[in-house]
Amino acid sequence: MRNRHELALAIVVAAEVAVFAVVAPNFATGANAAEIVRLAVEVGLLALALTPVIVSGGIDLSCGALLGLSAITLGALWRDGGWPMPLAAAAALGVGLLGGALNAWLIAYRGLPALMVTLGSLSLFRGLAEGLTGAVDNYTGLPPSFLALGQGYLAGIPRQTPVLLLVAAGVAVLLHRATRGRAYYAIGWNAEAARHAGVKVANRLAELYLLSGLAAGLAAVIYVAHLGQAKADAGTGYELTAITAVVLGGAAITGGVGTIGGTILGLLAMVVLQNGLRLAALPAELAGILTGVLLMGALALGKAPGVRSPQSAVRSPQSELEMRNTQLAVLCGVILLGAGIVATSNWWLVRSLRPAALAPATTGATTPTARRVVIGMMPKAKGDPYFVSCRKGAEEAAAALGVDLIWDGPTELDPAKQNEVVEAWITRGIDVVAVSVENQAAISTVLRKARSRGIKVLTWDADSEPDARDFLVNQATPQGIGGTLADEAARLLGGAGEFAIVTASLSAANQNEWIKHIRARLASAHPKVTLAVIRPSDGDRDRAFAETQTILKVYPKVRVVMGIAAPAVPGIAEAVKQSGRTDVKVTGLSLPNMCKPYVHAGIISSIVLWNTGDLGYLTVVAGHALARGQLTRGATSIDAGRLGSIAIDKDQILLGKPFVFTRENIDDFDF
Amino acid sequence: MRPVRLALPALLALLALLAVLALLAPSFFAPDNLRDVVISNALVQIIAVGMTMVILTGQVDVAVGATAGVCAVLSATLAREGVPPVLAAMVATLAGGSIGLVSGVLVARLRLPSIVVTLALLVILRDGLRWATDGAWVGDLPVSFQWFGLGQGGGQTLLIGLTVAVIVAGAWFLRTTPLGRAVYATGSDAESAQLLGLRPDRVVMASFAACGLLTGLAAALNASRFAEVPGAITAGIEMKVIAAVVVGGTSITGGRGSIGGTVIGVALLGTIGTGLTFLGVSAYWERALQGAIILAAILYETVRRRRA
Repeated sequence: MRNRHELALAIVVAAEVAVFAVVAPNFATGANAAEIVRLAVEVGLLALALTPVIVSGGIDLSCGALLGLSAITLGALWRDGGWPMPLAAAAALGVGLLGGALNAWLIAYRGLPALMVTLGSLSLFRGLAEGLTGAVDNYTGLPPSFLALGQGYLAGIPRQTPVLLLVAAGVAVLLHRATRGRAYYAIGWNAEAARHAGVKVANRLAELYLLSGLAAGLAAVIYVAHLGQAKADAGTGYELTAITAVVLGGAAITGGVGTIGGTILGLLAMVVLQNGLRLAALPAELAGILTGVLLMGALALGKAPGVRSPQSAVRSPQSELEMRNTQLAVLCGVILLGAGIVATSNWWLVRSLRPAALAPATTGATTPTARRVVIGMMPKAKGDPYFVSCRKGAEEAAAALGVDLIWDGPTELDPAKQNEVVEAWITRGIDVVAVSVENQAAISTVLRKARSRGIKVLTWDADSEPDARDFLVNQATPQGIGGTLADEAARLLGGAGEFAIVTASLSAANQNEWIKHIRARLASAHPKVTLAVIRPSDGDRDRAFAETQTILKVYPKVRVVMGIAAPAVPGIAEAVKQSGRTDVKVTGLSLPNMCKPYVHAGIISSIVLWNTGDLGYLTVVAGHALARGQLTRGATSIDAGRLGSIAIDKDQILLGKPFVFTRENIDDFDF
Repeated sequence: MRPVRLALPALLALLALLAVLALLAPSFFAPDNLRDVVISNALVQIIAVGMTMVILTGQVDVAVGATAGVCAVLSATLAREGVPPVLAAMVATLAGGSIGLVSGVLVARLRLPSIVVTLALLVILRDGLRWATDGAWVGDLPVSFQWFGLGQGGGQTLLIGLTVAVIVAGAWFLRTTPLGRAVYATGSDAESAQLLGLRPDRVVMASFAACGLLTGLAAALNASRFAEVPGAITAGIEMKVIAAVVVGGTSITGGRGSIGGTVIGVALLGTIGTGLTFLGVSAYWERALQGAIILAAILYETVRRRRA
């Protein structure tokens, strides 16, 4: 039965590879295979250690959070504690073991349900990581020799691959070749029976949770080396991906069934799908949807190993029949799925290829300008309304210039995902990469790699390290923004009083830069205006709402609340409106459309922003010029279509001054 | 008497927290602050009532966060297209119920493990919603959408009233109705329940459907608090809900627990965040404290069981 499940899964993986080899450029290359493995290592380590846990009938939801805690331990000991890197890495493994020990004690020796314990320790570990760093500290600037572990190559394969293979081999031997492995299966089938058979159930369970903790620690070390940063949110949600891989690989969540081979295939099925969709410039969300369907299908069709009650341990002849049906059904499912992928891909492909196919035909000879420029443009988060509005301008410019625009990125803020997308673009071989950088240290290495492959690199909205890109499309200087915001606060306060700031997250680089300039401007021009408190909103409207409610109660003298993240301002406005405090004014940095109702109602006095559509437009124009060789270092201006001539200061393309929107002019803008 | 005892550790912790707040930050108890705390926890509270039923049958639903996101966006989209807000909210509630029913059927009829079924559903719904909306907010809503056009005070009263009504109805249902007792019977021992002539699979389906309905209702109500509706805002809320239910003394293996305990669990976990800000402690310790409380609560449960 298990072998059949693995066979079906192997066919799924093979089908994915076959489809993407046809529809996705550069998918079937050695370099891409290496990147797929690199991306899979951290989750892979967690999934490998999780397999015996699930086989024993348990679960570990806390592994992703433990990865985060281990990662910041490593960063803090190295940077603040001055520990040498190998010692700090060992300490990270130690934290993983400690966390695993807590789970092991509660589950194995106190007999508590694993689901509950690890749900609690998930909150505890993540909370400790957030509390210890104030969710602010981001440990970067790690030594290159350490980063090489996560970013370098060893004989053409990513450095971390041997680690993954060793762990896979080790766990496979433990589970499938050692006496202990039989004990884990026995416990998963029936813990009570295993006890009577002489298995030391508590000890066996304890070592599994220790192993899972250790794997989380190891994954943390590799994560930090891979991304070049350690932050409290490292590995958020990895536990769900890892569990999905294990269950997709045929392990029964109720215990007793599952193999390492299955887990590896399950993981491959997921990462290949994601990587392939990315290379084919198809929406990456499809990967999640297909994975979910696949999981549900595998579960429903292979339900024989999934269902277990003590009585069914002895298989009835009925289940024998079921197996053959299962096999047939899995195959049908795979064929359907493959057909589905091909159909959707073709539709997309035809749509995106049609103009490209026409171009050489019309020009005859292939000149460098005949090929359409492909620009990959990445926001910090696709869902953020600020970036949604940038995209409109970018698409306008792409249509006007005949550029193929690929708009992709994390749905929510996620530095790891940004790296993943750029890697995919490099493999795909596009002309220009334009990134709004979420984390400098994490992405600069990848951007340098892109430049070394001859891809032009732009940053827009937020910058990488200067040597990692050709130009920055700068929407406004931090001085300009900070100064304008400080002036607005002072104007609304009548020159004296207290105000509060609701920022994005406390670690956001842009926002911290603005706050620095707000403080500088206050000190130089508005000495009687004081900044009472800064609260985080994590770019979440509801969080900004709740924070503002609390600010208004705890700091009654605050007369102006300023939001400096687009979704925060409507949240603040709603809180002020609901408080009935007409003496409190709201201002900040946000999008006109989001704030219009509040501006008209007189709750928001003013908002400060550049024209976001123009920012997207200018980025694509600059990318196009860069790819065509019309824009080089040393230029002092660029002809930007409907924006006219735009000034360039060294390596920065300047959009212009920020704009103040008020009740009088806000209806003239739609973004 | 018994349900109260199950929730005792949570109740004691809640009382201790409130006592500290009363001593150090009495302004926490200002009526308008208490009202704000209740309203900001209404979403979790309403879903937690449904989750209590699911967990009592011995199952779990981790898709509630994704379901709530879909329902919120659905209600807002309908309202934007001119459907009266109240009708839009009803459709969203029904949509939530249908999603819950799908999980229920898969779990009860095909006998699939609920955590995996709802995990798959979570991924499908979340990424489906991302794909459909690209993460964009639903805006341009009619003025009548917010608070169902009742205005600030009326809307808040409606929200608090409905939350209380859901709690009371849930508690009454579980305590006194035959189906409510069948929920406990199914969770305690599904086979015995079957032998008694109950239909455990239908009970499981009904509890998932009820959880879905309440998730849809909560999502629509929560969406109406604001003038625009983001899709991703409720992602991850399942962990909060499940934690609150379990801290409130409901056994994760089913059969034991109560709505009253869940209310205490929600109040405890929901007060910590605001409470910490009032005490001047960094809000970043909130999750660590919540985790410690969850572990302490389940640990206490075994100590008590061993003594008994």
